[in-house]
Amino acid sequence: MNAAFWDKLQKVDRRVLYVVLVVLTSIGLFLKAEIPVAVDDSSADFYAKLMKIDPNKPVVVQTDWTISTRGENMAHLECLLRILMTRKIKFVYYSATSDAPAFQVATDVIRHINEERKAMNLKVYERGTDYIGLGLFPNAEGANESMRNDIKKAWGGRRVRMPDGNETDIFQTPVLKGVNSMGDFGLMVVVTASDTIDFAVQRLNDKVELTGMATGVIAPGMLPYYQARQLKGFAGGLKGCYDMEYMMKHGINHPEEGGKIYVNAGKIVGEVPPLGSGKDLARATQYYADLHIALSLLIFAVVVGNVAMFAQKKAKKGAE
Amino acid sequence: MDQYLFIKLSVGVFFTIGLYSVLYKENKFYRFCEHIFLGLAAGYSLVAIWTSILYDQWWLKMTGVPAEGTSKMVPGYFMYAVLLPIGLCGYMVMSKKHNWMSKIPIGVILGLWSGQQVKNWWTQYGAQIYGSMQPVIPTTWSSLSRPALYTFNEAGAKVPLSPDAAAVIRSNIYATQALSNFIFVVTLVTALSYFLFNFELKGKFLRSFNTVGRWLLMVGFGALFGSTVMARFALVIDRMSFIWNEWLKLGR
Amino acid sequence: MELLAQARLTFFGMTPNSPELWVKIIVTFILGLGVMFAFTKAPIRARRMIVFSFTFASGLFYILLWLWPVAVAREPGTLPNNAVEGVAFWLDDAVPRIADVAQILTAFLLGLGIMSLLTVHTQRIRRKAQDWKYSVLLMVSLVTMVGFGYVDWIQKKFQDPQGKLLEMANWGPVQYGQDLLFDGAYQQMEAAMFSMIAFFILSAAYRAFRVRSVESTVLMASALILMLSLMGALDFIWTTGINNLVAQTHNPFLDNFKISEVAGWVKSTLQTPSIRAIEFGVGLGAVAMGLRIWLGLERGGVSA
Repeated sequence: MNAAFWDKLQKVDRRVLYVVLVVLTSIGLFLKAEIPVAVDDSSADFYAKLMKIDPNKPVVVQTDWTISTRGENMAHLECLLRILMTRKIKFVYYSATSDAPAFQVATDVIRHINEERKAMNLKVYERGTDYIGLGLFPNAEGANESMRNDIKKAWGGRRVRMPDGNETDIFQTPVLKGVNSMGDFGLMVVVTASDTIDFAVQRLNDKVELTGMATGVIAPGMLPYYQARQLKGFAGGLKGCYDMEYMMKHGINHPEEGGKIYVNAGKIVGEVPPLGSGKDLARATQYYADLHIALSLLIFAVVVGNVAMFAQKKAKKGAE
Repeated sequence: MDQYLFIKLSVGVFFTIGLYSVLYKENKFYRFCEHIFLGLAAGYSLVAIWTSILYDQWWLKMTGVPAEGTSKMVPGYFMYAVLLPIGLCGYMVMSKKHNWMSKIPIGVILGLWSGQQVKNWWTQYGAQIYGSMQPVIPTTWSSLSRPALYTFNEAGAKVPLSPDAAAVIRSNIYATQALSNFIFVVTLVTALSYFLFNFELKGKFLRSFNTVGRWLLMVGFGALFGSTVMARFALVIDRMSFIWNEWLKLGR
Repeated sequence: MELLAQARLTFFGMTPNSPELWVKIIVTFILGLGVMFAFTKAPIRARRMIVFSFTFASGLFYILLWLWPVAVAREPGTLPNNAVEGVAFWLDDAVPRIADVAQILTAFLLGLGIMSLLTVHTQRIRRKAQDWKYSVLLMVSLVTMVGFGYVDWIQKKFQDPQGKLLEMANWGPVQYGQDLLFDGAYQQMEAAMFSMIAFFILSAAYRAFRVRSVESTVLMASALILMLSLMGALDFIWTTGINNLVAQTHNPFLDNFKISEVAGWVKSTLQTPSIRAIEFGVGLGAVAMGLRIWLGLERGGVSA
């Protein structure tokens, strides 16, 4: 093949690549399958932490994403809510980002997970008695700083409408009764698509056990925090979320029928059970097989591009 | 309700296709969708600024909340009113003569941010500096690499070690681990030196130190690239799922 | 009355909706406007000092909070023993208020972007500039969203004490309208906008991601290892092969050649420290920038 062919190959219309991506990712959605996976240490630690925390202590969920990162963050939050609701752990949630829809989006996810649970005849979470929403804090640094200093002052004076219609001070509700400082929370989880995890680490990692669920863009930046134990675990990107769903189904070091162990995590000492009830394999599972196809396409594109470049150079040299 | 959900999803699909149409080329359908998008985004922000932020965090704190049921009264703090003129200063950016005043609220926000930086540096990086001090000398030479946490029985099947034996293995630093730790420290120091001393260095050793640092930084950027690709593809997959699974209800 | 007695009323914290409170709110606001008006008359030389004063005072609060001795074992109602402890108490009490200042001012400034958008598009409509009809479309969408958004909020906040509107079955036309605009249109468009980056990444990688230097080769190798480790199916096939080899040879050292192990090693030994180095650098830069802003040395930033 001559240099012109390789040159042409390198200059193929970008729209051809776009069509290939759309077609392949569409086909990939129909290949939904439970793919065996070696879970990341960070995901295993996060799952183990969520399954082991005291169910009588509430969890703080800071949810800083909007639909723009739905592909990853919605799967993250759904996964987290399923675990908390199945373990009957109460939670308080808020958004600390200047992205205005963040809080509304999280509220909508709680609503649809409740609808899912209702359809499965499982306990539905009620506002005020099982969870509380605090709204949007556009200045994440300020929000986390005041939480670090005094949670009662930071959230003081806020009320929530209880199921009986009465407005009640949030610290008198079953969710936050007995909470006087960040240390009284069982765990804090930051579900994020931005650098708000940095602010949380800066201000809260020594006050509460901190974990995270972040997009693939943010996740590599969480590795140093995890290595230094500032984060006790995290689910990074779609893979991290699939890890979580896989562990929700199979547990960690947990022997199933025939003694088969699906998730061997040498780092986790002992056994962590699967979730047991409710949905386990869900959105991330639906997308994970497709991710294989999309990544393979990218690797293929890079390889072809490079082969074409070298072949063109060689052909040119040959012609000279 | 099902009818409404179908209409809602159809609207979403219509706009998704409209925006994707720009991938082919700039067109009127795209511009139509783009402007609706901008209008809705700005409109929603106008709603959320009051309903999700200012009402609870400014108005109620300024005016207070009367006692109700078992909840005690929350006093109103009138000093919150002073924030409105300061905030309005920001809008002076529209004035040619007084636009310098817009820097007052920005100055307050940046001042608050800057005052937190020194303490934050330590809470963020202190533990990481400590975590970077990794042991580079092995504690045992009984094996070069860390032994497996399992053994084989007579039938050839894997059998996990006893917890005590596993704990002993976990607590030791083997030669290969020490080497990995050494590479960790070298990577950190060289990459940091390249990042911080980004000026012409004299001496062959220092220059090659910086070159290695640059290469190792690329390892970090490679990880960021790979992970970012996953994130972006997840978004396309989600859009395809929205169309095929949620709207057309195929392949669920 | 008993409930009323539980809350501490002071000169600053007053009974809700009392005439005294409203008078003070209005007076404070008018005084604030007065100061703002006075600033408009400030000479050019004084402007820099005004902005610096606001910035410095704001930064000083957190510096003091960090350096000032902290009052230990403080109980509600405790009085300070001396002036040092008095300042410590004040700093401690002021943290949530100062955090509120940041939240509220940020919220006020968020409106600035919308204001700018409105200005541009109203001008385009007034001048009948090219494609002005799109600007009308933008305005109509904005007003519709604002209308449905506020009415929905008012109904949920003040007219639905039982929280019935949280369930879709009880929705009225306003809730359907708000949901259609927010979740049906706006959110889906936002998702579509962001997802388009993937197309550009694919195209750019095909055209420009070339092995031309040591740096690009290292970057590509690192990215490749990470991407392969994200593919569980590939990892599974490779791991099954390794497991079979280990079972045949009884040599557990081969476990180290599983994709997940190799990727884990690269992640923890090379990627973590190199990302950490980047973050250390960024962190030092943030401290330096913070000090420059606080001390008014940053010319391009908040100096007037």
